[in-house]
Amino acid sequence: MLHWVVLATSWNILSGYSGYFSFGHGAFYGAGVYTAAVLAGTFGIPFLWTLPAAALVAALLGVALGAVVFRVRRVRGELFALLTLAVTFVLATIVQNTPIDGGPGIYLSAVPVPALAPTAAGTFYLMALALAVVTLVLARAIATSRLGLALFAIHDDEDAAEVMGVPTYACKLAAFGVSCALAGLAGAIQALFVSYVTAGSTFNITVPLTVVLMSVLGGTRHFAGPALGALLITVLLYASTAADHAVAGKAITGVILVAAVLFMPNGILGRIRRKSPRDTRDTTPTPAATPEADSAIHSVRANRGAPLLVLRGLRKSFRGVHALDGVDIDVRDGEILGVLGPNGSGKSTLINVVSGHYAPDAGSVRFAGVELAGISAHRIARAGIARTYQVPRPFAHLALRDNVALTAMFGAARRDRVQANAEAQRWLAFTGLSARSAMLPGALNLHQTKFLELARALAAKPRLLLLDEVLSGLTPAEIDDAVALIARIRERGTTIVLVEHVMRVVTALSDRVVVLDQGRVLAEGFVSEVMARDDVAEAYLGVAHA
Amino acid sequence: MTLPSATLLAQSALSGIFIGSLYGLLGLGLSLSWGLLHVINLAHFAFAFLAAYLCYQLASVGGVDPLLTLVLIVPLFAALGIAVQWLLARFSLSPLNSLLATFGLTAIVEAGIQGYWTADFRKLESVYAGEKLRIGGLFVPIPELITLALAVALSFGIYAAMRHTRLGRALRALAEDAPIAAAFGINAQAHALAIAGVSGALAGIAGVCLALSFTLTPSSIYAWVGVVFAAVMLGGLGSALGPLFAGAAIGVSEAVTMAVASPSWAPIVSFTLLIALLLLRPGRT
Amino acid sequence: MLEVRGLCVRYGAAPALWNVSLTIGDGELVSLVGPNGAGKTTLVNAIAGVHKPASGQMTIDGRDLMALPAHRFCESGIALVPEGRRLFARMSVRENLEIGAYRVAARIEREAAIEGVCALFPAVRDKLDHPAASLSGGQQQMVAIGRALMAKPRLLLLDEPSLGLSPLMVHAMFGAIRDVHAAGTAVLLVEQNVAMALDIADRAYLLEEGRIVAKGAASDVRDHPDLRRAYLGATEQ
Repeated sequence: MLHWVVLATSWNILSGYSGYFSFGHGAFYGAGVYTAAVLAGTFGIPFLWTLPAAALVAALLGVALGAVVFRVRRVRGELFALLTLAVTFVLATIVQNTPIDGGPGIYLSAVPVPALAPTAAGTFYLMALALAVVTLVLARAIATSRLGLALFAIHDDEDAAEVMGVPTYACKLAAFGVSCALAGLAGAIQALFVSYVTAGSTFNITVPLTVVLMSVLGGTRHFAGPALGALLITVLLYASTAADHAVAGKAITGVILVAAVLFMPNGILGRIRRKSPRDTRDTTPTPAATPEADSAIHSVRANRGAPLLVLRGLRKSFRGVHALDGVDIDVRDGEILGVLGPNGSGKSTLINVVSGHYAPDAGSVRFAGVELAGISAHRIARAGIARTYQVPRPFAHLALRDNVALTAMFGAARRDRVQANAEAQRWLAFTGLSARSAMLPGALNLHQTKFLELARALAAKPRLLLLDEVLSGLTPAEIDDAVALIARIRERGTTIVLVEHVMRVVTALSDRVVVLDQGRVLAEGFVSEVMARDDVAEAYLGVAHA
Repeated sequence: MTLPSATLLAQSALSGIFIGSLYGLLGLGLSLSWGLLHVINLAHFAFAFLAAYLCYQLASVGGVDPLLTLVLIVPLFAALGIAVQWLLARFSLSPLNSLLATFGLTAIVEAGIQGYWTADFRKLESVYAGEKLRIGGLFVPIPELITLALAVALSFGIYAAMRHTRLGRALRALAEDAPIAAAFGINAQAHALAIAGVSGALAGIAGVCLALSFTLTPSSIYAWVGVVFAAVMLGGLGSALGPLFAGAAIGVSEAVTMAVASPSWAPIVSFTLLIALLLLRPGRT
Repeated sequence: MLEVRGLCVRYGAAPALWNVSLTIGDGELVSLVGPNGAGKTTLVNAIAGVHKPASGQMTIDGRDLMALPAHRFCESGIALVPEGRRLFARMSVRENLEIGAYRVAARIEREAAIEGVCALFPAVRDKLDHPAASLSGGQQQMVAIGRALMAKPRLLLLDEPSLGLSPLMVHAMFGAIRDVHAAGTAVLLVEQNVAMALDIADRAYLLEEGRIVAKGAASDVRDHPDLRRAYLGATEQ
């Protein structure tokens, strides 16, 4: 039973937290089994010494696999599940056909059981218990750490997490490594316990499926969920085996899984947590007065007006369509630059390229003197650029405060978790969402969700804020609210690039505007001058050909 | 290493094509429900085995010709497929959750089979078993030939239906852009049930083919999962002909590996292929 | 023919609509203009059944549309040319057109209807058996309009038909819209080329921030001060 607690909990560290469901846990478990079996059984190395080796081999295997797989953006979700399953079978075949096993299996009956307890059974119990405790403590530590929050964010929206400054690749690798090492340890202990291992009984589909079942049942978003699931399932299986109803037990397990997936997609613990208090009032947020000025950053800067972001010859095409066709723009420190243009003129692509969502085909993006073109999105975020999405992309399963704390931790400011939580509360207060900080984003209306996006971007302490149509879809009254908020953000010294269609907003807020048309800069200057130009009017209103 | 004779290689390739056609037949239904309904139906395998056991029961105990059991099995499993889809459609499931839910279903069916037929080996002794044609130096077993014929006929039949019938075109339109298809009057829910019915019927047919050629145990349901998934992925989701050709390619490569190296190396071919495919093929999902 | 009253739509992150009312008479050509993000596409999609409104009334010839499931809107004679064309890319042009005639009533005359589309857009004729994805943007737009015409609509909803097209192609597209209208089909045209859209229309509505702010004869809307203000901002002179 403890064995399953370890396997399910370790699986959950990567798969449950980050949503990368691995069906290859059997492979890493098996790597541990065979490392221990070969070292102890064939070479006669004392068993306890094989434990670190087993953990290491399994972890290396996982990290090596992850290093390749996590680079391929497409392999997510069910494709990742399939790929890891396939790896299990490949590994099984290799073990089966090489001297590692050779076919007949390996006996460990001659390996002395370390005398940690008076009896062999006691020793096994002790080892399993120790490992289970270590695993649970680790799982809990990760869940409450920066890494844990990053993994939960990856689960909800990996691309957005990267743009918020989370080094997603490194986070996934770290979680995979820990997860595999623990599985390897469990495998090593199991090898000695059963004292005879074969490829067939080690690398099969039962281990991953059981582990997934237990975790889903218990709840994958809580460190103790898989352990609870493991407890329930093993009790159920033992009970039915003892009562000679093994078949019925299997059927009941199946029924439970179906019911769990259909009715409790968040597992038992997920369901319990869902019952936590929820604010049902549907008032619009009333932004609080500006929180006490933070002295360190964002006061009046000496170099106000100097170019902060310099774009030169920026190009980006999608299948031959030039979304950006040689764009030169300067954004000056401390200003609000409005970016205008008809549909399809390249505004959103501009934001996506600057924030690192896409790499430009050509051209340079210099921010505060540093070249950013082509570097990964999370490093751009750390350099001090934050953005909002036109279609809000909050992390759906994270409470509001965690949504905001994430960028405080991984954005330009790089706070630890405690500071980040305080920071999150401040920005939620700034956007008038304090009362809802424990709620999930799904409970918000569009207006509140847009403000959450703002709070999240601000918590990163950006020098440059990219706002992609934050006002679209809001009522006129809500728009007035948001305009006041954006004006206050600027007062704090943050430079803003504002992509917006609502002209009265652009007029009210922008110091200067840039008009894009068909991927090029059509006009640049003060709002009233630019919008009075004939070619701009034409780009917007068209000319009658008739 | 000495290379086996040409005849042996040809015989291996032939048996590879036969087993590959069964991979293709099993993969066909899976591919349709995955590609068009976004349901990864692991229970497809369980249904195929249930059909196989049913066929075994009717043929061995009832003395019915195994092929005649299709008359009962096809409508029965079509209905089963529709029922499952009807249930799943009430919940909006991600593909991953559909995989988990249908895994639960698989466990239930497996337990049901084990409860009724026990975990013992069952082999259908039909009029077809052991019958062989001899063509040149090669032996062609009849049950496998039936499987091949059914797989080819069904794959090409469904391929043609997807291209040339009103229903097929509607399904392809739904798979590409459901809201726009609906704007032209195509009822997404009704068509999903139709696909599930076809997929269920295909599970039934594949089951009868399984019963004709293979010894059945409840736990061998899982033995087919990996390799058939490989065939489906290789062939392209939602494709009608893909699984057949991919299945045959995998079958032949496995069989030749068995003949050249040793039987235990066989799985590595299909799974390495699948891994390479997942990592290297851009775009298309 | 079409009557929309007090329509409110809040559909995910799409621009929302508040209390929008609009009518389209038999055979009328009505343009809907307004800056990006005003909710034009949301309104068109709601009329086509793609988005479900939160409240309000929609009737066509007195028949209630609010209660219908999405796939039954086209029975009422409504056909959509969606923004961005949204052809079935992996299907051939002919198959795309046949999907347009999916309804049984339209299906009977589909060969003649394909002929009609080819007559309206001669460039389509040579491409009938090509995959839709292989066509140029202008040709795809023709197929998208053709697909909608295959349904024999009484009301054609055109969402940004000139988006991304060359001036020459825009000109051809407007010619075709005139022809369709002249043949007696009512048209609701959403268009970023405001000048052309108002030139061709009988009546027009100006949508801003999810509300109708101006309506009337197309020439009145063209001269309406709110039009320039909505697009270009207040010009303080």
